[in-house]
Amino acid sequence: MVNGDVKREETPMNSAQDMKNRNSLKGKIVLVDGENRKTIIDLMKQLLEKKCLDAILVPSQVPDTDSYTWLLVQEGSLLDLCDPLPPVMTVQGGKALSSLTKHGEMEANIGALMRPCEIEAVVELHKLKQIDLDHIILFSIDCPGTVPLSDYMRDPQKMAENFKESIKKWGESESLRPICQICDRFSLFPFAPSSPKSSLSQGGADLPASDIHIGLLGGNDEKIFLWPVTQRGKDLLKKLDLSVHDNLEVWESKVEEVREEKLKKRTAFHDEWSTKIKGVDNFAAIFDECINCHNCMEACPVCYCQQCYFDSQLLTLTPEAYLERAQKRGSLRFPLDTLLFHIGRMSHMALSCVSCGACEDACPMSIPVAQVFTAVGDQVQDYFKYVPGREKEESPPLQIFLEDEFGDVETPGDGLETSHGEAKENV
Amino acid sequence: MDTEFKPNIVGFLCNWCSYAGADLAGSSKMEIEPSLSVIRVMCSSRINSNLVLSSLLWGADGVLVAGCHPGDCHYERGNYYARRRFALLKKILEVLDLEPDRLQLSWISASEGKRYSEVVNTFAEHISQAGPNSLAHNPKV
Ligand code: SF4
Ligand code: SF4
Ligand code: SF4
Ligand code: FES
Repeated sequence: MVNGDVKREETPMNSAQDMKNRNSLKGKIVLVDGENRKTIIDLMKQLLEKKCLDAILVPSQVPDTDSYTWLLVQEGSLLDLCDPLPPVMTVQGGKALSSLTKHGEMEANIGALMRPCEIEAVVELHKLKQIDLDHIILFSIDCPGTVPLSDYMRDPQKMAENFKESIKKWGESESLRPICQICDRFSLFPFAPSSPKSSLSQGGADLPASDIHIGLLGGNDEKIFLWPVTQRGKDLLKKLDLSVHDNLEVWESKVEEVREEKLKKRTAFHDEWSTKIKGVDNFAAIFDECINCHNCMEACPVCYCQQCYFDSQLLTLTPEAYLERAQKRGSLRFPLDTLLFHIGRMSHMALSCVSCGACEDACPMSIPVAQVFTAVGDQVQDYFKYVPGREKEESPPLQIFLEDEFGDVETPGDGLETSHGEAKENV
Repeated sequence: MDTEFKPNIVGFLCNWCSYAGADLAGSSKMEIEPSLSVIRVMCSSRINSNLVLSSLLWGADGVLVAGCHPGDCHYERGNYYARRRFALLKKILEVLDLEPDRLQLSWISASEGKRYSEVVNTFAEHISQAGPNSLAHNPKV
């Protein structure tokens, strides 16, 4: 594969042919009463009232402010401030949910309503055993994107307006974060069981990770589409007396249409970025303004270490060592080891990067961190045939292996004899 | 190439196979390129990508990671995990065009003194040809 040649659309599981061959999905079409937001809130309220859930984690507006936060709601009436699609992502949902379930198992059944990239982060954390999904029901929702946090803070009213506009045009807006403009996973998809993406994993079908997906596309603010993805999701809708026999074709084809557009943009993004990040001078230039504050790492949902290597004393050297490094280069740049931090962080989590943009939103220096990590992340994920955030039961790629793989990274040296019978041929 | 250039190579060798192989090479008085500084680790899986990266960014001209042959790791599976991590790191350096060829992963058993010397000498030769590591001389790194 040529570097930068990332073609997600060619993975057979998503090909147009697959889409056509498959029967359309069944679910529930709910007529919208007033606005989408209210209809979704009513649904959540019913789930609490009928004791299907003990509590639900939702994005909410902070009363009398323009800010958004996560609320764990037990009392239905408090759901009125919930906004299933806030204009900004303040704290990544995966991060919020992991602080809830970090210690110990839960008896209660908790729902969580999140954007697709947040659900994907949740799944990655579940695989890393930092979220326990046993008692958590995930609700995902079609996502138009969010506006950059810093733009929103500067002018909340105007950006909220822009965000509303962008929902109408579904993602086609310059006001949205660059990472959202190229997001091809803004919705949930059914995937063919034999996806090559899972060939390195333990097998099994690629199933979207949430339990119930809320489709908005194609509904024209008149209906929303409920797709029960898992058995748990089906059971839940049953408890609400919602039959799930409606045909969801309208939603599906609209999603496919938008997705094709997004994929084109993502490919264009890779064409542009694969050269922008190449070579030490280019790469270093991107981080010229970096103050090494580690905010990007703090905000990243899949930066999973409890104690970060880069916050430890392991990188602290003696003054002599620094002088020696300065001598070699003519000068030494402070803050120290900025590139080591970014590349090192990448080498830990790039396979799990869900392109959520939280790092970029958190950067005080407006460095396009999420775009850099996505440019690299997509390529290494492709190399490992790994799609983060899908398949709850899959293991993280660095915790599994095949005996015979990656032969091309072993370099015994040209023409070297190996006396070991088991050793593999060098490719 | 510059004949004056003496490469500086870091070798992370696992205790049970590759380090023993190095020992054998030494005690058998085989010719081994002296530019390799050996760091003994208990297993190739002990090597965090940051150890390799910081070697490369702080001044090494090449980094060799060596462990037991697949199937022979003293801890059974360590080298398989190490290989995945290595593959990821190398791919990242490839994508960023940051001298990926200065990294090498090799399997060397305790009885392969000869192979050890060949791996080291060939790698050292390769690094000498490649010249000094540009990352180590870049004031922005
Ligand atoms: S990256 Fe943006 S558009 Fe994609 S799911 Fe996340 S918030 Fe929505
Ligand atoms: S690196 Fe950035 S874009 Fe990727 S998962 Fe972390 S916060 Fe999200
Ligand atoms: S948040 Fe921005 S400034 Fe801070 S370490 Fe990350 S890239 Fe650098
Ligand atoms: S002990 Fe040698 S690779 Fe694990």
